[in-house]
Amino acid sequence: MPGILSELRVLELTHRPSGAFCAKLLADQGADTIKVEPPGWGDQSRHEPPFIDDEPHPDRSSTFLAFNTNKRGITLDVEQQSGRDLFLRLVQSADIIIESCPPGRLAELGLDYKTLAEANPRVILVSITYFGQDGPYANYQGDDLVAQAMGGYLYAVTGSAAKPPMGTALQQMEITAARNGAVAVMAALLRRDQTEQGTHIDVSTMEAAVSTPSGLIHPYTYTGRNPHRGGSDGNVMDGMHLPTLDGEVTLTTAGTGGRPMQAWAEFLDEPGLTDPKFASRSGRMEHWEELHSLVAPRLAQWTNLDLMRETMARGLVIGLVQTPTQVEESPQLEERGFFVELDHPETGPMRYPGSGFFMDGENAMAAARPAPRLGEHNVEIFNEEMGISLRELGLLRAARVI
Amino acid sequence: MAEKGVLDGVRVLTLEQVHALPWGTGFLADLGADVIRVESPDHLQDRKAGPFPNGKAGEEWWNQAGNLVYYGTRNKRSLCMDVTHPSGNEVFLKLVEKADIVTDNFRPGTMRRFGFDHDSLSAINPRIITLSSTAYGYTGPWRRAGSRARTVDAACGLSYLTGYEGGPSMRASNNYMDHSVGNNVAYALLLALYQRKKTGKGMRVDLTMLETGVSAVGPAILEAQRGITRDRLGCAHWWKAPHNVYPARGDDRWIVIVVSSDEEWQKLKTAMGSPEWACDSRFDTVLSRWQNRHELDELLAVWTARYDDLALAADLQEQGITAGACMTARDLVNDPHLKDRDYLWEFANTQAPEVGPRIFAGRPFRDSGNPMSLSKVAGLGQDNGALLGELAGLPQSDIDGLEADGVIFGEPRPEEPRP
Repeated sequence: MPGILSELRVLELTHRPSGAFCAKLLADQGADTIKVEPPGWGDQSRHEPPFIDDEPHPDRSSTFLAFNTNKRGITLDVEQQSGRDLFLRLVQSADIIIESCPPGRLAELGLDYKTLAEANPRVILVSITYFGQDGPYANYQGDDLVAQAMGGYLYAVTGSAAKPPMGTALQQMEITAARNGAVAVMAALLRRDQTEQGTHIDVSTMEAAVSTPSGLIHPYTYTGRNPHRGGSDGNVMDGMHLPTLDGEVTLTTAGTGGRPMQAWAEFLDEPGLTDPKFASRSGRMEHWEELHSLVAPRLAQWTNLDLMRETMARGLVIGLVQTPTQVEESPQLEERGFFVELDHPETGPMRYPGSGFFMDGENAMAAARPAPRLGEHNVEIFNEEMGISLRELGLLRAARVI
Repeated sequence: MAEKGVLDGVRVLTLEQVHALPWGTGFLADLGADVIRVESPDHLQDRKAGPFPNGKAGEEWWNQAGNLVYYGTRNKRSLCMDVTHPSGNEVFLKLVEKADIVTDNFRPGTMRRFGFDHDSLSAINPRIITLSSTAYGYTGPWRRAGSRARTVDAACGLSYLTGYEGGPSMRASNNYMDHSVGNNVAYALLLALYQRKKTGKGMRVDLTMLETGVSAVGPAILEAQRGITRDRLGCAHWWKAPHNVYPARGDDRWIVIVVSSDEEWQKLKTAMGSPEWACDSRFDTVLSRWQNRHELDELLAVWTARYDDLALAADLQEQGITAGACMTARDLVNDPHLKDRDYLWEFANTQAPEVGPRIFAGRPFRDSGNPMSLSKVAGLGQDNGALLGELAGLPQSDIDGLEADGVIFGEPRPEEPRP
C-alpha cells in the first residue's frame, strides 16, 4: 500500500522534539517531509546524547534518529533574506508547515501565517510550542520537564507520595503534543478538501500535558481533591513492580471475576492470599508489606514469558515490565512484524518502531528512509527539483544560507 | 455533535469501554461526526467510574460521572442495547448499513462471535472502516491477553526507564497510555477516512496499545540494539544541570529549573544575587555542573525553598531562565494563562442537572477552521428512540417490543447496584 499521505508535502521548521515527532507521524504515512535545519549545526537533537555506539556525532543521536524517520533533509538559514526567499518558494509546493519558533518570531522573519497564506492559500501551518501562541506564558521557555511540571503531570502522576514529584522518562509530553498536532492536521486536511483553504493550528505542549495524560481537571472540580502522586505506593496487586526470574512484572486485579485474591491465590499456589484482611483494596494497602512477602517469592520463580503465557491462559491481566531489549526481542512484536528496518549510512541497519497500527494487515509505517544527514538532500531538492543551479548553490553555501 | 463540523455526515458506531477508545472517538465527535456509543446494560463500569460530585454517586448515578463529559459520551449519542440478543444483533447490523466507521475494544474474537468482524460488516457495507483497539493486536502469541494502561507503560519499556535516580523502576503513569492510544485511534481513523476519499474503499485497522507505547520510546529501542543502557535519572537530565525539581515554600510545593548553557547559569546566578556557593568554580561549566550536580541540586534547593513556587517561576522566566511551578489541579483551574487562552471549558450536563456546571480540560490545539466545543453528553440510552426509529427505520411498535423484550434500556436494570 502506498502511504496514505504520499501526495502531500510537509515542511518542518522545528527546534523541539514535539515538532519533529509530529512531522515524523506524517512522514511515516508517506508524506514527502522535508526537514529544514539551520546550516552548520542542524537540529539541536542531533547533538543530544545518548549516541549510537557512544560516539558523539550528529548522525548518531538516538533521539534524532528515532524522531526523524522517512524525512528528507535540507539546510537553510531563514534568518537571511535569501534563505527566506527559498523557504517561501518551498512553501508554494507545501501542504503543511510545522514550526516551533517562539511566538512572534515568524512575524519578525516575515514568515507569519498571513505571508505564508499569501504564497499558498492552501497551506496548513502548525505551530507547536510549550505554551501556545498567546497568553501570559506565551514567551516562557520550556522543555519536557517544565511541561510535565506546569501541565500538572509531575505533581500528580508518577512518583511516590512521600517523595518529591518525579516524572516519566523519554519526553512523553513532547510526544503527546505531537500526537495532538497530527490529529489537528488530519482534521485540517479534511476541512481543506471542503473549503480549499489552509489554516493556522496552535498546539500547546503544556495544554497537551493537562488534557491528555491524566484527566486532572475534572476529578478536582467534581470532588475538590487534588489528584496526588503515589498511586502505586504499597499497591502490590495494582501498581507496584515485582521481580521475576528474569525481569519484573506488574499485576492487576482485572480478569478475576471480582474475586482477585482467590484467583491469584490459585494461580500462585499461595493460599495465604485468601486471608480476609486482603479481601478489599484498602485491606491490601494497609497490609501491603505482608501481602508483598507472600506474593513476591512466588512471582520470583517465574520467567517473564512463562508468566505472560500462563496468566493469559487463565484470563488474568498482567504487564511485564520489559527492558527496551526485551521489547525489541518480544515474540509478540516479532510475529506481527512491528519493527521496520532502516539502513543508515552512519549507524548501519537498525530496527525502528512502527506506527502502532496495521491497515488491511500491513504495517502502516513507511520504510522509505532513515533520518537524513545534515543537508543530505540539498542538491536533490534545490537543484534537481527547484532548478537552482549548482553554481548558485555554491554561492549560497559560501554565504552560509544552505 | 458540533454544528457543521468537518466530519459532518460521518457516522461512527462504537462498542467501547473504559478509556482509550472512547478518548479516540471523542475527537471525531468533537469534529462533528455522529458517534453512536452502543452500550451494554451489563457493562456499565464506565458510568460507575465517576468521578461523582463530592465523591458520591447520586440517584441517577449512571448519567453523572465526570468521565462521561470528558470522553465517555461527549458529543456522542447513546444506544443502550444488548447486541448479544438476536434482535439487538440484527438492529446493529441495520445500523452498519448507515455507518462509515465501526470501532471496538473487545479482545480479538468477540466481534467475530457477534458476527461483527470486518469481513461480515464489509459484506453489508463495502465502504465501512473498522478499527479494533486492543492491548496486543489480533495476531501474535499475546493476542488473547488483556491490559490496563499501566500494564502497557510496563510492556512497552517506558516504566522500566522511569524512576527516581538510583532507585527501582516505577509505573510511569496511571492512564497516560490510554490517552496516547486514544490519540493514535483518532489519527488512524482520520487517515482511513482520508484514504477512503481517494479510493472509495473501506479499511481494516488493527491498532494496539503495546505498539503505540513502543512507538513513543523509539530512542530507547535503538539504544537497546547497540547495548546502550539508560540510567534512571528521576527529573535529572543526561547532560543539563541544574535540571530537576526543587522544594518551594509551603507544603508539598515544588519548582523545576532547567539550565542548558553557561550563559543561562550566569543568569540564574544573578537572579540568586550571586551567592558565594554559586560562584564556586565547580559550577562554572556545563561539564563541571553536571559532574557536581548532586551538590548543586542540594545548594539550589536551599535557595528555592525560601520562595513561593508560582512567584519564583514567574520571576525566573522574566529573567530568561527556564522554570516552572509544579502545578496541582487546583492551580491549573485558577491559572491565568489557561484562562486567558480559554483553555478550560465549563459545562453543565443537562442529562445530570443535579451535578451543575463543572470545569473540564479543553483541547490542546486550536484551529479557527475547525472550532470545537462541548455541546451535549449522552445519557444512558438517551437516543434509543431516534436511532432505532429514524436511522434503523423501525416502527414504534417494534421499538416498544425491543424494550419489553429487554433488548434496549433507558436506565440500568433494577438490580444494578449503585457505585
